[in-house]
Amino acid sequence: MQLEVTEVLWFEQHELSLPELADLSGLPLALAEELLDCGALAPLQLRRARTDLRFGSAALRTARAAGRLRSDFELDVQALVLALGLLERVADLEAQLRELRAQQPQPIL
Amino acid sequence: MKYKDYYASLGVERGASEEDIKKAYRRLARKYHPDVSKETGAEEKFKEVAEAYQTLKDPEKRAAYDQLGSHAAGQDFQPPPDWRQQYSDSPFSAEDLDLSDLFAHLHAGAGRRGARRSMPGQDYEIAVAITIEQAFQGTQIDLDLNMPEYDAGGRLHRTPHVFKARIPKGATDGQRLRLPGKGGKGFNGGRDGDLYLNITLRPHSLYRASGHDLYLDLPLAPWEAVLGTAVEVPTPGGVVRLKVPPGTQAGRHLRLPNRGLPKPREGQGDLYAIVQIVVPSVIGDSERDLYRKLSEDSGFDPRAHFATEAGHAT
Repeated sequence: MQLEVTEVLWFEQHELSLPELADLSGLPLALAEELLDCGALAPLQLRRARTDLRFGSAALRTARAAGRLRSDFELDVQALVLALGLLERVADLEAQLRELRAQQPQPIL
Repeated sequence: MKYKDYYASLGVERGASEEDIKKAYRRLARKYHPDVSKETGAEEKFKEVAEAYQTLKDPEKRAAYDQLGSHAAGQDFQPPPDWRQQYSDSPFSAEDLDLSDLFAHLHAGAGRRGARRSMPGQDYEIAVAITIEQAFQGTQIDLDLNMPEYDAGGRLHRTPHVFKARIPKGATDGQRLRLPGKGGKGFNGGRDGDLYLNITLRPHSLYRASGHDLYLDLPLAPWEAVLGTAVEVPTPGGVVRLKVPPGTQAGRHLRLPNRGLPKPREGQGDLYAIVQIVVPSVIGDSERDLYRKLSEDSGFDPRAHFATEAGHAT
């Protein structure tokens, strides 16, 4: 049994380079670059040299989903970009639904 | 070690072809993959299906699995002594391992034996449900994970990892937190895996959260809505006094700035009190008389626009 320790969590403050993003998501770097070129992975700031690009937690979430979908469904780049785009739309719609539900008054019995 | 029937997990016969196994996996992955499925228990089901497929899609691993014999699912069993020699290049303790650990670390075939590649540790994702109060103040959760790893003697074990994780204030529904290096141990110099916590907020009897904003129903009596009032409203940070202007309509959002959930870096969401006009279900004679007098004296017609709109429609 290991000692009990208290961990302070990494929380959206970290910025990652493209190789770090690829490493953390299990994507080959070349594929991460292709996803970046297709717009499926979005850097925090545009108009920077590729080596200077930094990525936040939203990109890490997308990249990890890409890593899972690629290995679990054996998807090629095109299918991966399509799936990620649709998942992003689903996430946006779910967020809108959550917001609308939160705003919906509950009936008073 | 408990036996798992990988063929049953995929719903195929033991003699199924590689193609049949792939088809069965694709069908089940489409149904249960956690990125695309919202079915209850989908994630657990997918893990079972993926574990079975990882072994059965590889001819060598499948052969190794088949040589374990056929047992009832969940039955305790031991791999035969010659099986260990033939398929496993590391000693292991069958008592505290899961069958998946055995196959994940299997180096079947003499050609690959000894070729110990460095492998990163496995990443883990777990769902953590917290209350709105915990999201407001930050909280600590106890984590108890059981992960496969090699001990100093090179034997593969399932090792319990018990630790506390601090969830900082500002975590909200759908957010993910990362604990670097808290996943599975890396193998042969590979980096340790990470642990990801997927945060969900438990339903609350008063508040509904959207991002860092909170919504609260504010019931008002008809006369309070007409005349205006000041009411005490609960917020996660304590009770505040809210001024309700005269003529407040049902459905109106009264905003209490910075009374929602704190944001991770700085700032705070807002709390919105949504006005509901509530009528008493039981009234006394004197109240009824007052309502009657009001209905006779009032010139208010809440449906005046019906006539106008209906006129436009024709």
